[in-house]
Amino acid sequence: MKRLSRGLRTLADCAPIANTKAPDRRMRTAVSRAKRIEGFAAQQSFDRAVAKLVQATPVTPEIQEWFANEKMAEGAKRNWRKTAFHPAILAIGIALVVIAVVAWIKFDEQMHAFPGTATAKKLLNVAAMTRPSEFEPVQTEAGTLNDLFFMKYRLEHYDVPREFSRQQTIGVRVFDDDEAGQVAQIGLAEKRMQLFLFPGRRDSKTGKPEEFEGWRYIEQEGWTGAVQARKGVLFMAAVRGPKKDLAPYLSKPKE
Amino acid sequence: MTGEASKAQDIFQDTLREAAFLAAKGEPPANRYWFFREARWRCLDVVAHGVQPEQRANESTEVSPQAPEQIEQLEPEQLAIWISAAPEPQRSGLALYYLDEFNYREMMSILGLKLNELSRALASGRREFQAWLNATVPAAARE
Repeated sequence: MKRLSRGLRTLADCAPIANTKAPDRRMRTAVSRAKRIEGFAAQQSFDRAVAKLVQATPVTPEIQEWFANEKMAEGAKRNWRKTAFHPAILAIGIALVVIAVVAWIKFDEQMHAFPGTATAKKLLNVAAMTRPSEFEPVQTEAGTLNDLFFMKYRLEHYDVPREFSRQQTIGVRVFDDDEAGQVAQIGLAEKRMQLFLFPGRRDSKTGKPEEFEGWRYIEQEGWTGAVQARKGVLFMAAVRGPKKDLAPYLSKPKE
Repeated sequence: MTGEASKAQDIFQDTLREAAFLAAKGEPPANRYWFFREARWRCLDVVAHGVQPEQRANESTEVSPQAPEQIEQLEPEQLAIWISAAPEPQRSGLALYYLDEFNYREMMSILGLKLNELSRALASGRREFQAWLNATVPAAARE
């Protein structure tokens, strides 16, 4: 005689009285295997006979009345509003929104990143901390300083773009930065703006400077920088304030 | 389960009252199993404070192919009395199982039992009922 495994025997003991009511595949498997076993047919006949007797139990009209409105006792269905405002759903929703916002900020940062972003941000901090007295006084047009940088400091291609070349300077200084290398910093009279020129990042394989097209904006602690790459040198105009304070200089190049 | 219709009626009404109270608080029962669970606990509580059935001998025997004929000779009340005298959770398990309204998962949920506990309760219930049948309706058993 075949025997059922312990797991299937356990299920077969709870087999539905009507064969059609097996709730899941495991139970259907158990019933199907148990049917080949001696004794299961007797169990089913036994169960059917007992269930029939239970069904035959007389129900008094008084008790029948209890179940006249049976549907009245059905569980209340939650509508979408109630479900949406359930604390767990609300907490999950808020968490997802926060994750989405953080992900968007990170994505946006990556989209606006350019070779030299980290250095440019560091120099924005320098701009915030520099006092006018730290500059060597030079009062001239910013566009003429390339000769000074080349002659005095041997800094090639440290040219101020034409958008800022007519701006009056109040002073300059050149300093070495661990990461940026030799940095030229120019103080302007207008809006106490500052200009920076520093070496661009170079490709580690080819050694060529990594460049990019047009102006890129960065923001840090209330300061905004507009950065441009040219001939391996990055130029940054920094101003204390929002992006709109710099935008007019970039959109209308001064001749 | 209580052995008395009046007690059952009280439990039924108390259960409905509790459901209405919860609904008024904005926390209505999540599904219909709540009613069975609640009613069962109330039944157990009533039974625990009432007259206890006599301890019957735990004789058991394998289910007989002649059992259906033996069962046919019983009155429904005899079965009800036998089930109401069974120990828990066998009593609740047998009552729910032979109502033939719930599958095994629903019974596990209502009774708070694991599958092997439910299986054991039903299997031993069958064997013990068969032994009682053999003692109560012996003529049919020998056919």
